[in-house]
Amino acid sequence: MIRVDTRVCLGCMSCSNVCPSQNITRSEIDGKRTVHWKRCKEECDLCVELCPAKALSLVPWDETVPETELSFDLVACKICGSPYATEPMLQRIESTLPAEMQKDARGLEWIRICPVCRRNVEAEGTARQVVLARSRKIA
Amino acid sequence: MAVYIDINRCIGCRSCEVACQRVHGGHGHINVHYVREYAAVPVLCHHCQEAGCTMVCFTGALYKEGERTAFDVEKCTGCGLCALACPFGVVWTDKIAHKCDLCQGREAGPACIATCPANALSDDFDLATRRARERTVRAAAVGGKR
Repeated sequence: MIRVDTRVCLGCMSCSNVCPSQNITRSEIDGKRTVHWKRCKEECDLCVELCPAKALSLVPWDETVPETELSFDLVACKICGSPYATEPMLQRIESTLPAEMQKDARGLEWIRICPVCRRNVEAEGTARQVVLARSRKIA
Repeated sequence: MAVYIDINRCIGCRSCEVACQRVHGGHGHINVHYVREYAAVPVLCHHCQEAGCTMVCFTGALYKEGERTAFDVEKCTGCGLCALACPFGVVWTDKIAHKCDLCQGREAGPACIATCPANALSDDFDLATRRARERTVRAAAVGGKR
């Protein structure tokens, strides 16, 4: 049976993806990600091995222990406001990447921006070169 | 090596997107963005020297191999950390991570470069600068504006 250390779980998608028996399910509704660990009798430790936070461990089967479920409010993008990541995942990124990488050349704290908006910022930045080149041609 | 863009040449035809999807079984890794009415910008992996995606990948599925940021699908759990650690939003996860692999194994090199009808994409970092310089020189030689 899987035991979840709820204090360290990142709310990522690793265990639910790697479980070969669909004993770990994940859903995303209304800006909330919920991970549900069923009581599992398998002698398989894929999820334990592949947890980035080492939040999972195997314990002997116990019928009286309720199934674990964790819900994470997804963090809203600072530009578009759409929910895109769990807070522990973002904190993990912030603690892993060197500080100088966490702001782009214009001082934008991109980690708190969703990937869709990051692509738009990138496109806008590159497009500025086009405008510069064209204005030189006119001048 | 990475795929470099001479942004003044992109005509926004999205041929690169199609070429990429054909090589990668329908999952393309390059996206042409239209910035209002004045520019088309292909957005794709920079193959960063210090790549955030490889730093957060805990299984070693994403790793640096020379200049390339390579991806080993066998090791990927689809956790989603790499997608959040990419400053350009060009790595994403859908059960497994998806990103530009510079068409690994394709002898002719990246399909987007081969396909681009405007020669806006290349694997030559200096090409855009060299072209601009040549334009200036040509203009100076004929005494006109470039």
